[in-house]
Amino acid sequence: MANPRALDKRRKSIKNIRKITRTMELIATARFKKAMDRASAATSYTRRITQLVNDLTKTGLEVSHPLLEPRDEVKKATLLVLTANRGLCGGFNGNLIRAGLLRWKELKQEVPETRLEIAGKRGIAGFKFRGQIAEHAYTHFEDKPTFDEVDLLATRYLHEYLTGQLDRLDVVYMKFDSIARQSVSVETLLPLGSLGADAKEEDPNAPQIQYEFLPSPESILEEVVPTSFKVRLFKCFLDSAVSEQIARMVAMKSATENAGDLIKQLSMQYNRARQGRITSELMDLIGGVEALK
Amino acid sequence: MAAHAESSSHATQDSGLLRVVVVTPEQTVLDATTDFVALPLYDGELGVAPSHAPMIGRLGYGELRIGHGEGQRYYIDGGFVQVVDNVVSVLTNRAIPATRLDETKIKESIAFLLTQPAAGDDELARREKSLSQSRAQLRVVQHAK
Repeated sequence: MANPRALDKRRKSIKNIRKITRTMELIATARFKKAMDRASAATSYTRRITQLVNDLTKTGLEVSHPLLEPRDEVKKATLLVLTANRGLCGGFNGNLIRAGLLRWKELKQEVPETRLEIAGKRGIAGFKFRGQIAEHAYTHFEDKPTFDEVDLLATRYLHEYLTGQLDRLDVVYMKFDSIARQSVSVETLLPLGSLGADAKEEDPNAPQIQYEFLPSPESILEEVVPTSFKVRLFKCFLDSAVSEQIARMVAMKSATENAGDLIKQLSMQYNRARQGRITSELMDLIGGVEALK
Repeated sequence: MAAHAESSSHATQDSGLLRVVVVTPEQTVLDATTDFVALPLYDGELGVAPSHAPMIGRLGYGELRIGHGEGQRYYIDGGFVQVVDNVVSVLTNRAIPATRLDETKIKESIAFLLTQPAAGDDELARREKSLSQSRAQLRVVQHAK
């Protein structure tokens, strides 16, 4: 143990690692800020859509749409798991894969025909390792999922749902609650359930506004329902991207701190070993001098 | 909700101007004040001037014009519009400024789509949708010249 040179080598390599993790932390922070901006830009859209739906329901219109009604018999279900393309982000991918597998097993027991779809290389590899091959695998969703990309997916799901090739769609993703809290969430996106589920209670004293609907409330409803599904799916992707960056930021921060501690400890050991060696050499010298007398 | 409070306290209330907000799921494309907006509704164009009655409409593919004459022009890809308290909120999947559309590319895509074979109602409908989107883009570009 007391080889100063070996200790110094280790210390140097840890210093390098610290540099890398520190840089990764900075990159993750920058990416997180961008992803966060995108996510908050999207909330402006969702807020307005929710409001529109609220105004629409206030007209006393019977809200019914094939996407809103659960099927009596669920024969075909799809599970979509959103993971990251890259690792080094703490328990992010692991937690998602664990939750995804659990849900996948449940689904397999409940539903005769199931299909697995995974976004993110880590998830694909994780499921493959456990013997589950995804029917569709997406790796093109990086930290900036665009609406057009998600729209393609959403349109396919909608089409499948309406033509009876899909009765249920579950999504496993990392939900963004706050900067300090993200949780694995399993949500059923199809059937949609309710439209304005996340709408807040409105002030009953607020003036009622009589809207004119062009061309008709039904026609608008027909369009609103698929749109809110798409927006929800898009939100899942955005949340997942933000959470990934936060997870990486936290993981890299603790890695950097850890490396700092390790360097301190190694420096102490190194200094002790060096001092020990000097002392023993001195003792040798003194011993030699004594012997010559 | 918040949007109502925002709009009623806004200066556009009495100034005889409209506030136009164009949002897509990705970003807020535009937040401007103007005196006139022309919207591409599902079944025809609609002009909105200040003090318009509250309205919710379904949008088609077409051109959003802001201001009279040489105003800003956007290509709007469907969605909804809500007019209340002199605030026009446009919710759409895509909003592209007319100056950023490329005429030759659009023409190419139309030509490409026309050569694509489509079998079955779904594919036909999909092709028809893309075609009408491209054609609307083309109209916007040519109009903007």
